[in-house]
Amino acid sequence: MDLADRADIAPPTPEEPPPVRRHPSEPMPRWPSGWQGPTYYGRAQLKAAPFENGVVGGYIFFAGLSGASALLSTIASTASPRASAALERRARWLTLLAPVLGAPLLIYDLHTPKRFYNMLRVAKGTSPMSIGTWILSAFSASAFLASGAGWWGDRRPNRRGWRRLSTLARWSSALAGAGLSTYTAALLSATSTPLWAAAPRSLAARFGASSMATGAASLALGQRGRTRRNLDAITAAALAAELTATLVSHHRYSRSGIAGAFQTPWGRLEEGGATALGLVAPLAMYGATLARGGRSPLPALATLAGSLLFRISIMGVGDVSARDPELSFRFAQPDNLPGAHSPSRASG
Amino acid sequence: MVQTVEGMVTIVQESRFQLIDDDGVAHLFLLSRHAAAEPADLAPLQHRQTRIRVHYRKARNLIGQMASSIGVLD
Amino acid sequence: MEMHPRVREQTRSEFDTLIPDESELTANVRIEPGRAYGFFTDTTVCIGCKACEVACKEWNNLPADNIGLTGESYDNTGALSANTWRHVSFIEKPVLRHDLQQPFQSGWLMMSDVCKHCHNAPCLEACPTGAIFKTEFDTVVVQQDICNGCGYCVPACPFGVVDVSKVDGKAHKCTLCYDRLKGGLEPACAKSCPTDSIQFGELHKLQARAQERVAELHALGVANAYLYGTPGAAGATGDLQYLNAFFLLTDRPETYNLPAAPTRPANRVAPALTSGLATVAGLAVAALALFARRW
Repeated sequence: MDLADRADIAPPTPEEPPPVRRHPSEPMPRWPSGWQGPTYYGRAQLKAAPFENGVVGGYIFFAGLSGASALLSTIASTASPRASAALERRARWLTLLAPVLGAPLLIYDLHTPKRFYNMLRVAKGTSPMSIGTWILSAFSASAFLASGAGWWGDRRPNRRGWRRLSTLARWSSALAGAGLSTYTAALLSATSTPLWAAAPRSLAARFGASSMATGAASLALGQRGRTRRNLDAITAAALAAELTATLVSHHRYSRSGIAGAFQTPWGRLEEGGATALGLVAPLAMYGATLARGGRSPLPALATLAGSLLFRISIMGVGDVSARDPELSFRFAQPDNLPGAHSPSRASG
Repeated sequence: MVQTVEGMVTIVQESRFQLIDDDGVAHLFLLSRHAAAEPADLAPLQHRQTRIRVHYRKARNLIGQMASSIGVLD
Repeated sequence: MEMHPRVREQTRSEFDTLIPDESELTANVRIEPGRAYGFFTDTTVCIGCKACEVACKEWNNLPADNIGLTGESYDNTGALSANTWRHVSFIEKPVLRHDLQQPFQSGWLMMSDVCKHCHNAPCLEACPTGAIFKTEFDTVVVQQDICNGCGYCVPACPFGVVDVSKVDGKAHKCTLCYDRLKGGLEPACAKSCPTDSIQFGELHKLQARAQERVAELHALGVANAYLYGTPGAAGATGDLQYLNAFFLLTDRPETYNLPAAPTRPANRVAPALTSGLATVAGLAVAALALFARRW
């Protein structure tokens, strides 16, 4: 028998991998849709991100909340300046969450925190962490300026100059806020961690929608009347968009063969905690009360808790997918390459 | 537990350095991230053959020590 | 100062200076800035002696880590890490029937793994401080005086190579002996390899040599020999283009703990950013319409 005819030892090509065979002593594959072939003693093929999930997940949450509340409050006071004065004062404090709480969390997560300023050495389009550094810097500067000038202007007899400065800074923080509430998804997607890399578009849609939901929900807490109804409607719309993107991303995880990562504690937290209790439940509550205007803070609080849980648990599920060679080898098969089957599959 | 050793630096690579103590025994150190000294400070110590005192702790799962501070003796 | 007796036992070195361009003697290659250098690791001649691991630790003054035994064949190193930049993997294949035994080796595969020094290096593209850079020898190095230990290069690497040290809080990986190259020396692992399984040289010459070696092995009946990491081959997929440290393998990449089709993470930045911003913009327009309505 000619060796070249033996499919099990023939060299693989990027186009068509040959059938695979496991060592008899290796345990059976854990995930039916995962990698069925050999692994190296079950050792991880990738290294999981050395981030502290609670710390970085917390930053992503605060960044999204601050960025979206800057954007929403600016839109509201542009569309109806008189009705939104209270909203603007609320947003002053919410926009400061990202620079005051979020930035220290990021520095705390560095392994050499005293060198945090090295982040400002370069600006790099290929690194979402570099993009994010500059977005956060721009957002922080304009948020401090907007909040400070607004607060000071309220206490001055001649307030026009201060108000104008505040408005200018608020628009700047609104634009940076849009970036701040979404770039974190690009940061996770632009890695080799299978679960983050598998669905860059729908993950970013989830992050953006979740940020808008938390921004609207935190602005709505304690508000009454039309402003409250408007904000509730925006929260509900954002949650509906997030739910759609969640379904799309989970479909993509199944098609890439890495859905096994959700059959773990982190995965159950993402599905049961973040999605069921923090997304579907508040969406249903908003749906029930939207027509007559709800008074309960419960859906807004559930939205906030759900978003925080989602950011932390998606970090954890990503780590699971990086540490499990059956998932990372499955993801690194040629059929998951960009454009392998259909153009739509390239970067969902 | 913090321990101390005195000697001269013989090899420097990035934040890792080898110290020969007065008995001629070589010790491998990694500069702790909390140490005040920077990796760039190590090479001059080697070139000048400066006698130094290193405060260190045991590093986990490594055959090497974690240097938490370096003092110049000469 | 009084000297320890052992110090006097040392004999003087024969050379009082470095041999200029020593790599010409040891690897038949002159090391010049501006040219691309790399490793060709031919796993068919690896004997698993771990001289490369030891030479790397010795030259780079790296401590031993993962102390203990793994029970995984002769591999007690386990994986590449912040303190281990060469790792010899040992794969004991089930022994085939005698008439099907592959002629060059028993059912035992060994491979010296290392940082791949990718052409489009994901760790470099991810690094937000510019600490990771391409050297004048077309290799990828982490500058220790700049790295602030953000750890973003760790998940960026498609091969699980880069690691952040818990002790000094910086990212570490193979430098392809950047300091030795600057001094005209062949990298320590390649110089110490007794079977020339690790070959150092100019990249295009190494690639040509590797193609010849594959053809030679095919002619000898080793039909499953193939290259991993050369342009267009497995391991150089997804816009990574090619790996400066590439391999000759005789089994599936996964057997050696290598991904079959890695991708370039930076290509996912634009899709994610546009999709996220589009979602936010859509919701912002809806908010504008809600707040602006007169009813």
